[in-house]
Amino acid sequence: MAMMTLVQAIARTLDEEMARDDAVVLLGEDVGKRGGVFLATEGLQQKYGPDRVIDTPLSEAAIIGAAVGMAAHGLRPVAEIQFADYVFPGFDQLVSQAAKLRYRSGAQFTAPMVVRMPSGGGVKGGHHHSQSPEAHFVHTAGLKVVAVSTPYDAKGLLKTAIRDDDPVVFMEPKRLYRAVKEEVPDEEFTIPLGEAVTRRQGGDLAIVYYGAVAPEVLQAADELEKVGVHPEVLDLRSLMPWDKEAVLEAVSKTGRVMIVSDAPRHASFASEVAATIAEEILDQLEAPPARVTGFDTPYPYAQDKLYMPTVTRILNAAKRLLDY
Amino acid sequence: MIKDTQRFEPFTRDPITLVNEHGEWVGPFDLDLEEEQLRALYRDMVAARLLDERLLLLQRSGKTSFAMEAAGHEGIQIAIAHTVKRGFDWLFPYYRDHGMLLALGVPAVEIFGETLATRADPAKGRQMPNHPGSKPLNAFTVASPIASHVPPATGAAISAKIKGSGQVVVTSFGDGATSEGDWHAGVNFASAQGAPIVFVVENNRYAISVDLQKQTGSENLAVKAKAYGMPGYYLDGMDVLASYYLMQEVIERTRAGAGPALVEAVVYRYGPHSSADDDRLYRPREEVEHWKQRDPLERYRRFLERQELWTHEWEAELREAAESELARALEEAEAAGPVPEVWMFDDVYEEPLWPQIEQRRLLEEELGT
Repeated sequence: MAMMTLVQAIARTLDEEMARDDAVVLLGEDVGKRGGVFLATEGLQQKYGPDRVIDTPLSEAAIIGAAVGMAAHGLRPVAEIQFADYVFPGFDQLVSQAAKLRYRSGAQFTAPMVVRMPSGGGVKGGHHHSQSPEAHFVHTAGLKVVAVSTPYDAKGLLKTAIRDDDPVVFMEPKRLYRAVKEEVPDEEFTIPLGEAVTRRQGGDLAIVYYGAVAPEVLQAADELEKVGVHPEVLDLRSLMPWDKEAVLEAVSKTGRVMIVSDAPRHASFASEVAATIAEEILDQLEAPPARVTGFDTPYPYAQDKLYMPTVTRILNAAKRLLDY
Repeated sequence: MIKDTQRFEPFTRDPITLVNEHGEWVGPFDLDLEEEQLRALYRDMVAARLLDERLLLLQRSGKTSFAMEAAGHEGIQIAIAHTVKRGFDWLFPYYRDHGMLLALGVPAVEIFGETLATRADPAKGRQMPNHPGSKPLNAFTVASPIASHVPPATGAAISAKIKGSGQVVVTSFGDGATSEGDWHAGVNFASAQGAPIVFVVENNRYAISVDLQKQTGSENLAVKAKAYGMPGYYLDGMDVLASYYLMQEVIERTRAGAGPALVEAVVYRYGPHSSADDDRLYRPREEVEHWKQRDPLERYRRFLERQELWTHEWEAELREAAESELARALEEAEAAGPVPEVWMFDDVYEEPLWPQIEQRRLLEEELGT
């Protein structure tokens, strides 16, 4: 066991996976000599050499596209996109190549690769360093999508993602990179994709969330406990596949649910969860599902802390659900 | 750069040509190919042309939705198939390269299976016609988005370099591809890595209707290699022998560690962009006729005749052999039967996730199966 931050857990896991399997290579802007702008690949080029930790040109299309070809050729590339906001020049490679290679070739060619990207707001980054673009990826059949919020989950799920035979978009909440430390076992463990984890048990309402909003959700849950409201709190961790069973069970138990994320509301992943709940267990709801999300604006600079769901916004939503 | 193997100069003013329009050898070195090899190039060019005709016929007769013709491109395409190490090197072709893949060894039944979306298609009927691929032959399955296969081609080449496998990657595309960001991203990364890859632009001067002058202000496409620090060869891609000798030299030099290269093969497409296009709207008939006088098959036939390697009897024989093989393959592809509806849910992921499982049930309910 060692206490570590989320970004340390990422770096440690990449190291372990590279040591385990020679086919694992890293590529991205600044991932080599610099060790990544967030230091998620710190020391790895020195350890494994420039052929396995590749400093690429400043081109997301080249990074993701080359990862597709490397994967098809037998490597297990882990690409880093410096900020999720910069994935869009490589979006065509994710959507047209990575997501469809297995399908379009009848599984003759596959792309077992991971695209890591720091995502989400709360770091005073303005709209080009704060976005949470997961809905684009979840909307693209052929991609798997992970959105972690803790060091432990980062290790267990990154290992699973690297060993998975399909392309995985791995979203890391950059505001939490160094915000929390927790014990992460030194020994080998993995967490399956599509498995949510219960953070709090309670029967009054369900709070479903993922990624960067974890601190506000957990603080709001504590506030609710103080006034005698017991929320069931569920961290999805994986968005494709996502743990529908666990969500429906938590909602059935409570009859009230909110879905919290810092992505814009329209056509969001939160909307998908809300729609699924309404479609499948409407008769068990005591109140309409609530979405507590970012706003349908570009991510603002000055109002950085107000764009993300605040504790107050979560508590207000809880009140509306309980009063309904 | 490995000097002693260099026979061709990059960045020439005129396209590299070894056989002129009359079929005369005009090369600055002695022809040193075996008769068998010379004949094989012609045989495969004829087969590619016949495949082209068959595919168009399948569209015209309503058996498939779409066809793309490659007539006029055969010189460079067949040369590539004959200069890579088959099943060892990797190809990243584009949607007009079915003749290249046939010559590489992709079974015609698979190409027809893909065209008709039958069980004979190794890709299980997932793509529109003209999008073949073959794992056994390392031919990366074609994707429609222009130049989107170029960064993956670079990635495969970097992988080959990391592994020290000795493999070379050859990727081909049309002239329009050189305007795409993905093209530049892939070429630049390959250059920075010294990856073993040869980029081949089959320049037929039109991206659907947009002519080359509207595509780029560059004097030609080969010259784009200069900025990327690699040799750029300006080639007459309708001269199969020039294409063969040049590709062989460039591929082997790349294999030996010289890094990537760009080849601009000047060709002409005799048909429209696709069966959904009407090229009379943008190409004068006189221009098409002019280029038909330079037909890569006819030029090479004249050459073989001068070498006393061609007779009417041989022509008839090889056409009959190719036709009957294509007919047999087409029959086999049709007999394989259409792909089942529910196959659409397979291969999205290694194993279907719950959305595919649920939605497959929904479709089965709709179909009553």
